[in-house]
Amino acid sequence: MMVSDVLKSDRIALHLKSDTKESALKELTELLYKSGALTDKDAFLNDVLTRESISTTGIGNGIAIPHGKSANVLETTVAIGRCEKELEWESVDDKPVNFIVLLAVNENDRTGVHVKLLSQMARKLASEETCRRLVDAKTAEEITSIFSE
Amino acid sequence: MKIVGIAACTSGIAHTYIAKEKLVTAAKELGHEAFIETQGTIGTEDELTAQQIKDADVVIIAADIKVGGKDRFQGKRIVEVPTHIAIKSPKALLNKIEEEIKK
Repeated sequence: MMVSDVLKSDRIALHLKSDTKESALKELTELLYKSGALTDKDAFLNDVLTRESISTTGIGNGIAIPHGKSANVLETTVAIGRCEKELEWESVDDKPVNFIVLLAVNENDRTGVHVKLLSQMARKLASEETCRRLVDAKTAEEITSIFSE
Repeated sequence: MKIVGIAACTSGIAHTYIAKEKLVTAAKELGHEAFIETQGTIGTEDELTAQQIKDADVVIIAADIKVGGKDRFQGKRIVEVPTHIAIKSPKALLNKIEEEIKK
């Protein structure tokens, strides 16, 4: 059981062009869809946006962890995007976001090892030092290795 | 302080675990001891023991949903906050609790 089981390099995009939260979420959803993780991208995006409307997913230090838990997810996984522009995003430190960790969870995957891996990744984000390193990472491999520590 | 607590968020995937880590780390840095149980999608982990609860000066429930097993804390001082407070400023939260307890 390794982080690389849920974090695939083709789901990491380091130069997102989006300049709004909605557009960035759409870009990342597209990434998940293209790599075969979703059955219905519009429905998934809708789930994510519904979750966003409940409470803030900006966890500070420029990072946000939006997530969608739905039947439209084939494979519990994650997409990571770093935006070239800073995005307006409801955040605990009221600062903009440019690093997005979009979690996609299969609704029926309740006890699955993959959900556990996602929770381990989330746990890493509690460290400000780790957050800083992620935001500064130059390659997808670097990001995977930080999460795998 | 000896602290026990529960972290739980709406979808039980991410905030729960970040809140736990933040509280445990902040507690350690401030010289407290904290045991935090997580109630997430994958079930309950790091379940609090009867001894941990008995020894605790305070119970922190960092949750956005109803948590299970609150009856275990009968007679204890309980502080309830949403997860984002524990994520945003865990140290300020602990300092405030400590102040309250000393009063």
